[in-house]
Amino acid sequence: MHSYRLGAIGIVTTFFIIIFSTVLLPMVLFNPTDKEHRSNDYTKVASNVADAARGRKIYVREGCFYCHTQFTRLQDRGYGPLVKAGDYIWETPHQLGTARTGPDLTNEGGRMASEWQKAHLIQPRAVKPGSIMPSFSYLSERDMNDLVAYLQCLGNGRHVKDFVEAPDEYRTTTPAGVALHNRKTVDTNASASANAGRGIYTQNCAVCHGLNGYGEGPNALSLEKKPPNFSRPYYKQYSDEFWFYRVSEGIVGTRMPRWAETLTEEQRWYLVAYLKTLPQDREVTINSINQIDKVEDIHLPKLSNQQYEPHHGGHGHHSESDNMSPSEHQMPQQSTPSSPKGTESSSNTDPAGTKEGGH
Amino acid sequence: MPDLVKNVPQLAFPHMRMFHVNAVAVGWLSMGYVGSIFYMVPNLCKTKLWSERLGNMTMWAWNLVLIGAFCTLINGNTEGREYAELGAILDVLVAVALVLVALNIYMTILNRRVKKLYVTLWYFLGSLFWFPLVWIIGQRTFVALPGLNDAIVGWFYGHNILGMWFTTVGVGMMYYLLPRLTQAPLYSHGLSMLGFWGIALFYAPTGTHHITQSPVPEWLKAIAIISSIFLLVPVLTVLTNFFMTMKGRWGQAVTDLPLRFAVTSCMFYLVTCVQGPFQATRWVNWYLHFTQWVVGHAHLALLGTFSFILTSAIYYSLPKLTGKEFYSQGLIRAHYWLKFLGFLLMMTSLTIAGLIQSAGWAMGIPVDQWGLQIRPYWFFRGISGIMIVLGQLLFAYNVWKTLYTKPVESVAKAAKAAEVKA
Repeated sequence: MHSYRLGAIGIVTTFFIIIFSTVLLPMVLFNPTDKEHRSNDYTKVASNVADAARGRKIYVREGCFYCHTQFTRLQDRGYGPLVKAGDYIWETPHQLGTARTGPDLTNEGGRMASEWQKAHLIQPRAVKPGSIMPSFSYLSERDMNDLVAYLQCLGNGRHVKDFVEAPDEYRTTTPAGVALHNRKTVDTNASASANAGRGIYTQNCAVCHGLNGYGEGPNALSLEKKPPNFSRPYYKQYSDEFWFYRVSEGIVGTRMPRWAETLTEEQRWYLVAYLKTLPQDREVTINSINQIDKVEDIHLPKLSNQQYEPHHGGHGHHSESDNMSPSEHQMPQQSTPSSPKGTESSSNTDPAGTKEGGH
Repeated sequence: MPDLVKNVPQLAFPHMRMFHVNAVAVGWLSMGYVGSIFYMVPNLCKTKLWSERLGNMTMWAWNLVLIGAFCTLINGNTEGREYAELGAILDVLVAVALVLVALNIYMTILNRRVKKLYVTLWYFLGSLFWFPLVWIIGQRTFVALPGLNDAIVGWFYGHNILGMWFTTVGVGMMYYLLPRLTQAPLYSHGLSMLGFWGIALFYAPTGTHHITQSPVPEWLKAIAIISSIFLLVPVLTVLTNFFMTMKGRWGQAVTDLPLRFAVTSCMFYLVTCVQGPFQATRWVNWYLHFTQWVVGHAHLALLGTFSFILTSAIYYSLPKLTGKEFYSQGLIRAHYWLKFLGFLLMMTSLTIAGLIQSAGWAMGIPVDQWGLQIRPYWFFRGISGIMIVLGQLLFAYNVWKTLYTKPVESVAKAAKAAEVKA
């Protein structure tokens, strides 16, 4: 009998020690402050427009947090700055979320137009083909406006600077990335490189992406997941490395192949140069055969007077030649001193480049 | 498919999900657990339940909670905290019911006619002390904590409703059922105590491993992850005990249907509890968090392990309570296979879908692109869900028929014959 009493005391004490250390202690020791004023400010939306604080209640009521999280993690690309402890001090009940069946919404505010958000709530697939979000068309006009106002407050205007980052092996932060950049012989900012890339694009990409990258190539009609519209501002934030990564590795879940298997590294860099020059002007969704590339204006990147040999280079001695002083065929107007390896190569390996580059 | 049901807020996915979680946790598992406790404790104490009237009252209170949960959650009347969605009135009602159940059971145990406490009673005693407290702390009904503290308390609760209630009562039931069903003595009472204290020590602080990548204090994460890994100790102790008890008697699971459910449950318990600690480690968590893998893991625990052991308890105790054989052994078999195969299909498809999602997050691929990729797996998951629901309907029909059919001699005999044949 005595031992049971001891046991009961044991159960009680253990449990209270645990409650003390993992529930009470954090409340005392962990008091983050919001010195940088990063937390969401729901008063930002004028009260005669909509009530963002009420929108938060709608967000809770409709259980958005079962599919959308509100914390960015180190590895999340394209979801804006990492969250800090102080961001959440006014958030109760917390909406950190448990699963991501949809995108993270930490920095959602300002990313899309309010009209877009509203259309997306009413019929997600109208503005985002292939989305699996259920429709929330049953929300009243007021609920909808407040919810959109809330969404626009998320992130408190934190600008998403590094919108997309290529994986480490493509960036100079890793040995693999450094090696990749040492092998790179193409100046992706030069318009002549873009011209070289244009041929590669027309041959390989235009059939789905359309000649100007609006995502309206003939093949797009049969694709369930439509190709993106590269004229959207979103794509203007892509870094060279990110374009290169996308082209090289393709996109899982779509018909976009791994071009690393068919195109050489050099060809892919030319492609990157071309992709960066795609226009930013219009939105196109194609749903019927009549909309496909009717008469598309041919888009040529502007040629400067720059004397440049985009198609030169890439014949195998890069790591050595980096250390050597630029030799025989050096071009006089090398624009960026940081990439000497683009200039010293001699042989022409790119058939597409010959047409457009010109000596 | 997402447009299948439109413009009906009651059928919107988030509302259905809220009710699904609460109906499973508060309705099916908790109600079944309390029922099993009410059966097992008097049996182990060789005495009557302290108060039948109080027991009935808590039963009605609990059913009232479930009706309330249905009416509120389906309309989105939620507190917005996962696993604690129920409104203030229902929170209080559950707490009161739990305290009354605990009182009833404690008084029964005080009035017991056997000197020693069997390990099942230890588990029930512990659970009935822990769970009301965890519930009251976790609901945060009348307090508004700042965001991350809210999350810390929330996950303390979210994980301990599993750790200090579903696991401990479920394991207690396994300790009760396995020796009874196999007619074998428990392998070791010493090991069972080690397992009990291991769970009591290491389960409660693990909650923060759900938010290892959020900006909560590192020491808290460390406590959570370390104790998650230490959980392997009690789990393996408990399972060693079960498997050694089963030694030489595995064949009985072929003919004894309640035992088959119980053994399946033990096997799934092994899988869950090996998965769990590894998922809690930082790098595995880094990769797998937020995905359908975790959903699969949760179903492995609540459906694979605890739902199976609860079903086993019902199949074992119902004939003993009513004095009637089950209406149909064939339906029990059908229930078992539908639930078992359905669950395996669900687990596999959710796990694969989770890995696809993980790869998507790790490689920075936009959501709508891997969203299409996991669709076939959700299709299979849908099929598995239908199988499980069908199995449960057969189960309900079987119970109904058993309770409300006048025992006909020939039916009972036919059932016996079928059992012998198989």
